[in-house]
Order: sequence, then C-alpha cells, then structure tokens
Amino acid sequence: MSTLIAIRLRNAVVLLVLATMLCFALVVSAPGNVAVLIAELRTPKASFEQIRLVEEELGLNQPLVLRYASWLNGALHGNLGVSYKTGDAIGPALASRLPITLTLVVGGAAFAMLLSFALGFLGALWPGRLGDAVSRVIALLGASMPSFFVGALLIYGLAVELGLFPTFGTAGLSSWVLPWMTIGLLPAAVLSRVVRVGLEEAMARPFALTASAKGLSRRAILFRHALPNIAPTYINALGAQGGAMVVGAVVVEPLFALKGVADLFLQGVLFRDFMVVQACLLVFLTSFILLNLMVDIGMMFTDPKLRRQGANA
Amino acid sequence: MMAPETSSDLLQVSHFSVDLYTARAALRPVDGVSYSVAPGETLAIVGESGSGKTVLNFAPLGLMPTGVVTDLSGSVLFDGQQLVGLPEPALRRIRGGKIGTIFQDPMSALNPALRIGRQIAEVAELHLGMTHAQAEARALDLLKLVRMSDPQARLRQYPHELSGGLRQRAMIAIAIAAEPRLLIADEPTTALDVTVQAQIIGLLKDLQRRLNTAIVLITHDMGVVASIAARVAVMYAGRLAEYGPVEQVLLTPRHPYTRGLIAALPSVDDAPGSPFRGLPGTPPVLGAPLPGCAFAPRCPQVIDICARQYPPLRGSGGPGPGAAVACHVVNARPSKEQAHA
Repeated sequence: MSTLIAIRLRNAVVLLVLATMLCFALVVSAPGNVAVLIAELRTPKASFEQIRLVEEELGLNQPLVLRYASWLNGALHGNLGVSYKTGDAIGPALASRLPITLTLVVGGAAFAMLLSFALGFLGALWPGRLGDAVSRVIALLGASMPSFFVGALLIYGLAVELGLFPTFGTAGLSSWVLPWMTIGLLPAAVLSRVVRVGLEEAMARPFALTASAKGLSRRAILFRHALPNIAPTYINALGAQGGAMVVGAVVVEPLFALKGVADLFLQGVLFRDFMVVQACLLVFLTSFILLNLMVDIGMMFTDPKLRRQGANA
Repeated sequence: MMAPETSSDLLQVSHFSVDLYTARAALRPVDGVSYSVAPGETLAIVGESGSGKTVLNFAPLGLMPTGVVTDLSGSVLFDGQQLVGLPEPALRRIRGGKIGTIFQDPMSALNPALRIGRQIAEVAELHLGMTHAQAEARALDLLKLVRMSDPQARLRQYPHELSGGLRQRAMIAIAIAAEPRLLIADEPTTALDVTVQAQIIGLLKDLQRRLNTAIVLITHDMGVVASIAARVAVMYAGRLAEYGPVEQVLLTPRHPYTRGLIAALPSVDDAPGSPFRGLPGTPPVLGAPLPGCAFAPRCPQVIDICARQYPPLRGSGGPGPGAAVACHVVNARPSKEQAHA
C-alpha cells in the first residue's frame, strides 16, 4: 500500500508543478498590461518612460522563464508578491483568510456528510415509504437550487424572520450555521443519492442474502454489510463535491460577508489585481490536488482490493 | 401416500406451497410438496433450474428477494416449530442459528469489504452471545475445523484473496458457526472446480458426522447426490416427481422424468464423440398450477389422464421407506420391486 501512496504523492507533486505553471501562464496571458495600470494609478496619463520604470521595478521586463522561477521561488517561501491595488503583501493576507475559507468548506462538508447519510439511510431503511419520498424531494430541491438562492432563503427564514442565527460574521458557532447549510446543501443532495442508490445496490447483491441467512436484521445488514461496500464510491463523490464547494465559496463568502480566500479572489478579479488572482488560483489548485490525493488514499483504505495491490506491486 | 414420517424428524414439510406475487405476475414455484429430514440425515433435492428447489428451501426461512410478496401455505415443522407464519424476528433467530445456509457462489455470497474472520465471528456474536474476542477465537477454531490452511492468516484476509475452494470453506465455516441442526446447501459445489468439488463434499460429510447436522442439499448434480445423500427428492415444475432412498431412485428410477435425467448423464463407457443426450423439450414456464402432470408434454409414456389430472405422489407399497412416485402410468402397474418381491 505504501508503494501506491508514494506513487500518488509523486503524481500530486507533478500536478502541483503543472498547476503553478498554469497559474502563471493565466496571469501572463491575461489581457491588459499591469505596468500601465500601476503607472496610471501613480500618475494619471503616465508617460512611456514611467511605464518602463514600473516594468523594471516589478521585473516584468525579464524573460518569462526567469519571472516564473522567481515567482515560484517566492511562492515557496510564502512570498506571493504584492497586491497592485492595496500594496499589501499577499502572503499574510492569504494566511489570515485561509482559516475562514477552510472553516466554511470543511464545516460545510461535515454538514453535507451528516445530512447525506441521514437522508440516504432514511430512504434505504424504509424504501418506498414516506421517509424515502421525503429524502428524494429534499435531494431534488437541494440539487436544483443555486446556492445564492438557498443562502437568501436561509437568511430570510432563519435569520431575519426567526432570528435564530446571525446573518453574517464569524463570531461563534451560530454564525457559521447558515453558511455551512448554504454551501453544504447541494453536496448533501447529491451525496444522499449516492448513499441511497449505493445501499440499494448493495442490498440486492448476494452477500446481503448471506447476511440475512445469518439472521441479521435489515438494519444490521445495511450498517454492517452494505455501508462498507459504498465507502469507496462515497469518498470519490465526496471529493468531487469538495472541489465544487471550494468554487461554491466564491458565492457563499460574499453572501455572508465572510472575508475568506474566495472573497479575496473575487476582489482581485474585479480590480484586475492579477497578483492576487494568481495567488488565489494557486491556493485553489493546490487544494484541489490535495483533495484528490486524500480521495485516492481514502479509497485505498476502504477498498480491500486497492489496499492489497501495493503489497503485491 | 408419502414416505412414513416419524415424530423424531428434524424437518417435516407437508403439503407446502409457495405463491409469489410480483407487480406483473402471480407464480406458484412450489406446489404441495411433502418430505422430511431426520437429525443427522442428508436429503438431496434434485431438479432443473427453475424447478422451485431453491424457493422450496428459502421461502420458509423468509429468505426471499424484497419487492416480492410471498404467500406460504401448508406446514414446515422444524425442530417442533412451525415456520409457516412465523414472524420475521423469530425466523431471524433460526436463520444462522439452528439452520445454517451455504450458497452456490462463495465469491458473491461473501462480503467483499469485510475480513473473513469478521464474517464468521459475526454469527457467533449474534447467535451464541459471544463477545468480540470470544467470537474471533471461535472463528479461528472454525477455520481449523473446515481444514483451512494457515487459518490465523486467513482470518485477516478478504474474500478476493482466497481461491474458490477456500472461499467455500469460509462460507461453510459461517454456516456452521452457531452449530446448526440443519444445513441447507444450495448447489455448494456448482461454482467450483471438479477436484475442489470432491473436497467440499468430503468436508461436508465429515462435518456432518462430527456435528450430527442434518443436510438438505440442493443440486442438479447426480454424482454429488450419490456421494453424500441418503434420500433424494426429485423436483419437477414445483412438485415432487419421485422421492425415496438414493440407491433406489438412482439405480431403479421409476418416474419417466427421473429416468430421463439419469439416462442423460454422460458415461465413461460412451464412445468418444457420441452425441450429448438430453431430455427433449423444455420445462413448463412457471405460472398458475397445472391441472395435470407438468411433465406430460415431454413424457414418452404419456396417456390421456396425464393432462387432466395431477398424479399424486404414491409409495411403492412395499415394506420400508421405498421410493414414492407421482406418475399415473407407473402407479397404475405393479412396480418392478413389487413384482420381484
């Protein structure tokens, strides 16, 4: 198994290098000259000379390979450059914003897992009954409503009308409930179907009949025999949904006035603050790659066939 | 009418019928079947695919696919307890406890995501009230009992890491984990290599002798029947065609269907390249119970009454538990045994 993990790690590193190149290439090829923008910020109607000066200052006149190398070197040391708009270092800004985005996405994922198992088992325990129908309807609604709409509904219903939770902020657990629900509902809906359908398929397989012949109740078969069999599929789907949630943060963070990485990214895009965009993209891509690595390793741990491959390889 | 049944029988099935109602159809895969199994005895139930032999054994235990409405009638007395109409929680205590089950394909019957040891220990925890540690120890003992090589290592392995024969041994260990009084083995050797088949049959015989377990063996392999069973019930289209001691049924089959089955067996005396002998025709599609003999359309000896009236299962009339046959033609004339007697 350790061999397999080593292979996955190596692949992740290769991907990460490719990702940094992509980040860099995106920003370099983006329309508009950064030097012009900065020079004009300093003096309106900047002369060609002034623009040249800025280019030299930022190292933009150097060859692309050198620029990439120096940027990568800086990024490795936590130095992601300076925001064109504010003049602040991007590294520390990201560091202070990362925990907020992490809290949002990880909490949302936990909520999604909880809800998806609750809904999935509700359906699988009593197939064709009321609980099954309810779980199906919630899944359909959750999967078809965009998160800005869900967020608005939740804010209106639970925060404004009922006053159960604050509408924004990061003070205490209660302020996180609505963002978690907003970002977690869509993944929960998709994952609940993965659980429901996966359990149903597992229950139709011959080993479920064996378990029944052992004298286990339907509930025990679902939990002890069917559940371990859907784990790899579930982890895979969870990884895909986790990626979608990072993207979803771009919508949810502004909605709840959360100052996270996605919020910074959005500001960067709006102000054409390319250094910020580049840094945020790097964070996103790194998180995707890490997520996939975790999914691969998680599947290895839950699928006995994958687990033993490393030993034989 | 039937072979004599004594009160000492472990399993007593009488006039047992199963009706299945699915969304689209109503079927009667088992129609008025009667037989009995004594403690420690082996009964083979033989029949083609779709003859109802699996439903006959699994329906009384509540082992039917979900989404199918199963209606049982008649009587299935097991160890003094009526299984027909027994509620599911009571049936669950019997399943895996007093009655163990072995399935045809051990690869799909074992859970691919759980270790072998866990799958065996689970039964001991459930039915013998053992703790986790006790059950794991029992699982090890059981693997030794089914003569698994390197049992300690096998406990921690997964089904896909074992060969077909070892998987079936693990399946048998699961089935006998709670020391059942009856083992139901549904084609336990069909999915295995021929050499492994003999080992598994040998193991079953050995376990039966040691644990005094009765076995109901569902099979379509006459060779398996001859090597392990004391009595055999031949099923055709949900009914018993012939029922009696193995030697009698295999050596002097009386029902035209049984005769056809045995005649169809390839023999070492056959010339190489000689044509494969089969039974002409196909079994009837399951549906509403037929008024007459289900075998009539394929029967070489068919007479008028066969299509109109169902032939009852009737004993040879001789002393002792002779073979009983459900055939108008055979029962109308004195049997060979009687003629010689």
